[in-house]
Amino acid sequence: MHQLQSESPQAQPGTAAAKLGRAIVLTSGKGGVGKTTTTANLGTALAIRGARVVLVDADIGLRNLDILLGLESRIKHHLLDVLEERVSLDDALVPGKHGDNLFLLAAAQSREKDEVETAKMQALIASLRERFDYVLIDCPAGIELGFRNAVAGADEAIVVCTPEVSAVRDVDRVVGLLGNRFRPQLVINRLRPQLVKKGKMLSVEDVNAILRLPLLGVIADEPAIVVTTNKGEPLALHKETQTGAAYHAIAARVAGEDVPAPMPPAARTSLIERIGTLLGGKRA
Amino acid sequence: MSGRRIVVTSGKGGVGKTTTTANLGATLAKRGKRVILIDADIGLRNLDLVLGLEKRIVFDLVEVAEGRCQLRQALIKDKRFESLSILPAAQTREKDAITAAQFTAIVELAADQADYVLVDCPAGIETGFRNAVAGASEAIVVTTPEVSAIRDADRVVGKIAQEGKPIRLIVNRLRPEMVRSGDMLSVDDVCEVLSIELLGVVPDDEEIIDTTNRGEPVVLDETNRLRAIYDKIARRLEGEIVPFTNFENQNLFGRLFGALKVG
Amino acid sequence: MPTALRAERGVTLLRGRRDGLEVTLAGRDVADALIELEARLAEQPSFYRGASAVASFGEVLPSPQQLGQLSDLLASAGIELRALSGRAEGLEALARAEGFGVEAPRSADLERRRARREQAEVRLSEAATSLVADFAGARSDIAQRRRRGEASVPRPRVETPEPSRQLHVVEAPPGTLYQAATLRGGQALHHTGNIVVVGDVNPGAELVATGDILVFGRLAGIAHAGARGDESARIYAVDLAATQLRIATFIAAEGDAKRKTRATPEVAVARDGRIAILPLDHLADLNGSGALA
Repeated sequence: MHQLQSESPQAQPGTAAAKLGRAIVLTSGKGGVGKTTTTANLGTALAIRGARVVLVDADIGLRNLDILLGLESRIKHHLLDVLEERVSLDDALVPGKHGDNLFLLAAAQSREKDEVETAKMQALIASLRERFDYVLIDCPAGIELGFRNAVAGADEAIVVCTPEVSAVRDVDRVVGLLGNRFRPQLVINRLRPQLVKKGKMLSVEDVNAILRLPLLGVIADEPAIVVTTNKGEPLALHKETQTGAAYHAIAARVAGEDVPAPMPPAARTSLIERIGTLLGGKRA
Repeated sequence: MSGRRIVVTSGKGGVGKTTTTANLGATLAKRGKRVILIDADIGLRNLDLVLGLEKRIVFDLVEVAEGRCQLRQALIKDKRFESLSILPAAQTREKDAITAAQFTAIVELAADQADYVLVDCPAGIETGFRNAVAGASEAIVVTTPEVSAIRDADRVVGKIAQEGKPIRLIVNRLRPEMVRSGDMLSVDDVCEVLSIELLGVVPDDEEIIDTTNRGEPVVLDETNRLRAIYDKIARRLEGEIVPFTNFENQNLFGRLFGALKVG
Repeated sequence: MPTALRAERGVTLLRGRRDGLEVTLAGRDVADALIELEARLAEQPSFYRGASAVASFGEVLPSPQQLGQLSDLLASAGIELRALSGRAEGLEALARAEGFGVEAPRSADLERRRARREQAEVRLSEAATSLVADFAGARSDIAQRRRRGEASVPRPRVETPEPSRQLHVVEAPPGTLYQAATLRGGQALHHTGNIVVVGDVNPGAELVATGDILVFGRLAGIAHAGARGDESARIYAVDLAATQLRIATFIAAEGDAKRKTRATPEVAVARDGRIAILPLDHLADLNGSGALA
């Protein structure tokens, strides 16, 4: 396990010298492409790097970010409790399981998206920016009020897309709706290099031929992702894994580091597969 | 006799509502039923893409609602089937371009000309979802065997059950080997949480991504096992008792995982 | 698609000849053709009044009911169906029984040569050909609305200046809308006048202009030029890969074959009742009315 360090004193929340944090919304239009997974992993990676990070689940009524972080049994208060001033922000923030600089502000499960007032959401995000280096907002699927509220408080956007025609179309719509206020960056998720090679899946180039966005990173699909989702342990905790490393590279780029251009992971064979081939076994 | 009006919904996005609507609709049409599919996802339409009918769209759902064309002009007949038509959503509009009452009226109009009207519901539980459910008299909830999806499906089941409409379940993208290794929830686990009638179990299939991209419903492929599975789902929908295929779990960790239901 | 339903390439449904009109039903599904014919006639209801027509069936043998429908349809537009022509067995007998003349079919050779000549000038995929019948119903509706004076598309936004203090309001003349940005899916530009986009028009985006459309980039969405009925309107693009092209009341979509060669600038024009796509270096051949010289 990593020993998580807080950042240097000048970034402590509340001090006048604290720089205003960045509020980034993660969105896609299409559901199920990995927004929440990316939010959880990117946040985890940024926290491991030493930044103070808060994750905000804006999917009122369909909350899931808590599950991915393994925190579902620890939620006492949620976003609407804060917006409606029943509890303080401090009481609602749930510390992550690992280290002390990752926090979650969970969504309400039994409420509706139209109960959130846009202005109040903006004010909340603004106050979170004063206390954290990064405010990552997990946006709900779709382009309705929930989407608009999630976007309202953000000043940067990351769009997540899978290499599928429907996803690309939906993301394109969202980019159009985000408008000139944002210069969204792109994360391509669930790439399967084997299928791309066989011509049965869109390539990174195919996707970006339409989207034309700066590429933040490419995550290849692997079964471990589903497993860790169900277990509440983001893969970013394991920097040595392919996916974990990919998220750390994304975090580095988000932090402004000059990491070499993301290449789609090669269809690399695992040791098992190679041995299998040598022994005449079937390639997976 | 008016046709059945069924909304295909899920809560969570990306679990396979549109693919299910398209393939189930195609299967019912192959079995000789008159089927109309309606895409209720205004602004994020995908049903036309999945069926490869995008280029033939002239009018859409919103234009029918606004009275600028008739339903029969907006319906696109899929020439690969005897009796399958779709009503596409609008792409350049928002979900509030249509009211629940307008949508219901259109679904009822469609039901006058079909045996089955399947409504492809948008993700989420906002206006788009509410409108789509309003027009239907039954629901099929689609979920994958993952905790987030199940939780969202549960929320949706709760909302629909309040309206007293019958709800059935399709578990999508099952990976039996992951269930056996304990890395994925079993169908029984899912059913236990959701407590609604199981309509079908569809295994994960690599071909779906490619066929979806190319606009060909996977049930057109005679070599794909999903064809038979959707056929069983259609039969159950019609009221037939079709047993589920049971894969007894051979891998005993000292306890029985329960029969692995597929199909 | 079954071979019998495929329209013969390059041969229009309704065509003028020196001695009257010819309705070419050869190689078509008669029911579909009747729908399309009805739409065509509805667009210009009195244009053909007083003409006589020959219906050529090729290998197809229509039923007496279909023949009756055709004759009635033509009669409602003031056209007299005077003779049938075709190679099908029993056609001659049918014609005499129903009181129509018989015309010797043109030599197959001549027809082939004519078809080849027209084919060389237009590029129309099978999918687009079949779409013509599909859209006939839609077009007839559009045509009817035009006759009633309504716009055939959502009313385009007309830019009017603030009303002046004087009594009259000056309506700005239709100009060209210039957009120097890519249009994303779900975005739409509707304009009275021409539209110029410098950038791409992504799938799911829509351009509707009463005039011409120019895309200095990749046109992948839907473009509708001449939206108020101007059939001489054109659509230009550096990479013409639209989901659908519409000019006045004509609609066309490309076949599914993935384009392998690099895109070259092209222009879409309407002629002979359909949309033709020409490489831009043929622009010099287009005279003022938009018809090929």
